[in-house]
Amino acid sequence: MKTKSNFKGKILNIEKIAKDTCKMDILSPMEKADAGQFISILCPNTTLRRPFSIANFENQIITILFKLKGDGTNYLSSLNKNDEIDFIAPLGNYFDIKNKKALLVGAGIGIAPMLFLKQTLNKKNIENYLITGFKSEDEMIKGSDETVVGGSVIDNLEKIIQDKKTEIIYSCGPIPVLKKISEISNKYNIPSQIAMEKIMACSIGVCRGCVIKIRKNNEIINASVCKDGPIFEGREVIWD
Amino acid sequence: MGLENLKTILKSNNRTLELKSPIIGASGTYGYNDEFGDFINTDYFGAISTKGITPEKRFGNDGDRIFEVQGGMINRIGLENVGIEAFIKEKLPVLKSKNIDFLLNIAGSTVEDYEQLAEIAQKNEIKAIEVNVSCPNVKSGCLEFGLNPDSLFDLVKKIRKLYNNFLIIKLSPNTSDIKALAKATQEGGADCISAINTLRGLGIKIDFDGKNFHRKSVKGGLSGSCIKPVALYMIEEIKNAVDMPIIAVGGISKLSDLFEFLSVGADAFQIGTANFIQPSICTDLAVELSNFIKENNFKNIEELKRKIKETK
Repeated sequence: MKTKSNFKGKILNIEKIAKDTCKMDILSPMEKADAGQFISILCPNTTLRRPFSIANFENQIITILFKLKGDGTNYLSSLNKNDEIDFIAPLGNYFDIKNKKALLVGAGIGIAPMLFLKQTLNKKNIENYLITGFKSEDEMIKGSDETVVGGSVIDNLEKIIQDKKTEIIYSCGPIPVLKKISEISNKYNIPSQIAMEKIMACSIGVCRGCVIKIRKNNEIINASVCKDGPIFEGREVIWD
Repeated sequence: MGLENLKTILKSNNRTLELKSPIIGASGTYGYNDEFGDFINTDYFGAISTKGITPEKRFGNDGDRIFEVQGGMINRIGLENVGIEAFIKEKLPVLKSKNIDFLLNIAGSTVEDYEQLAEIAQKNEIKAIEVNVSCPNVKSGCLEFGLNPDSLFDLVKKIRKLYNNFLIIKLSPNTSDIKALAKATQEGGADCISAINTLRGLGIKIDFDGKNFHRKSVKGGLSGSCIKPVALYMIEEIKNAVDMPIIAVGGISKLSDLFEFLSVGADAFQIGTANFIQPSICTDLAVELSNFIKENNFKNIEELKRKIKETK
């Protein structure tokens, strides 16, 4: 695992890319990051830092996508090009990339780590198909092979798995979507890796604020989303 | 660079605890210090207070554990910890090998729990324990001991019998009479008080989706800068009631906070929630404090403390 650090980065670009959705490019001294990892940004108007999945990392530029949800993201959206931001990165584990035909499923802003993963798989020449879903046309974010608008991203999943002869599923999105992904992957007996989300305090694995229950070696244990995760195997997660 | 001018000695009637700086990482915000790897440099820490340790391993609470509020946060971790046996076997050697000074923070549901933990701490020659009698997040015990002066006195006395090194009691602010608790702590034979633990709080968030309301709530311990005035008040009360060293904890995040707490009688400080915002905060504060002392020609922290206390 790479060493995490507290960095100061410079915003190279910030733009609105969909309804209530922004993309931010940050020039950073961070050396390496993998798909699935996240950064934790200091927002001076909130008590806690805010975690964001890395949507791309290339030439020292970190890209994040975020939806305007509250004080933290409103602050970020108020920033301008050349402003400095303070963040800790790279955080968490990452997708364990297998040389298998991959189906990538992103729901809403959950597309962010999927875009990074898709690019990583493309570079390794691993066959992949990214399907994403958005509530409405104006919330749509580009970059997928297939986009579902209005309906649910999981509705057609089983057909796609059969058509594409999927061998592994990677996914990020709200809990109901991830739960469904985990069920489908069990049904078809293919592995799934899902990016979990929970409110975090420290974001580095110390405070135990963001734990979920997982099954490991036939034992139920607490795992922190920020350090042991955010990526878990679908079958190991114990759903509430 | 050394920070010799920060050397702090907490002195009770019979015992002393030497700290290389008065800045201590508060319990629950540093784990057992093995999670950090080389991310956090603890060279300038006086100590870290470990995650609260119970006799048995605890999983903590299910569901949401964190709720952010204006100026702070509410947590209901519920004392998730590895248990004393695993701590001694797995965590203690790491702390020792890294030469990190620590306070062993202990918590129990019964008097026997505390006795067992005190005995083990003594057997393993642990230099200082901080007794959590004030966790608002577990259903039984703990807080109950901490809120009644008589039961607190009994508990402290029993721990004292079994533990001969530096004994710190962490007091709860969820009381109408902190002075009585402080007196019970001193009469029971403790060496030092740390205060305050988190305040009871309830965080509520109500969303409206155009049709229905959705309510989310977390009940637990409130921490962060919003509790600082309560901590200042409580520490002044404690100082007026007893003569023993006090470790201030509650909303500390900057140099001026340290001065404020020194002015009400604090001898050392614990930093909690601020670690989540700025992981280097303990080191930053130690360096800032040391530089302030140097630049303003004070001899050391002791002289600074005296000067601030003299200020009316």
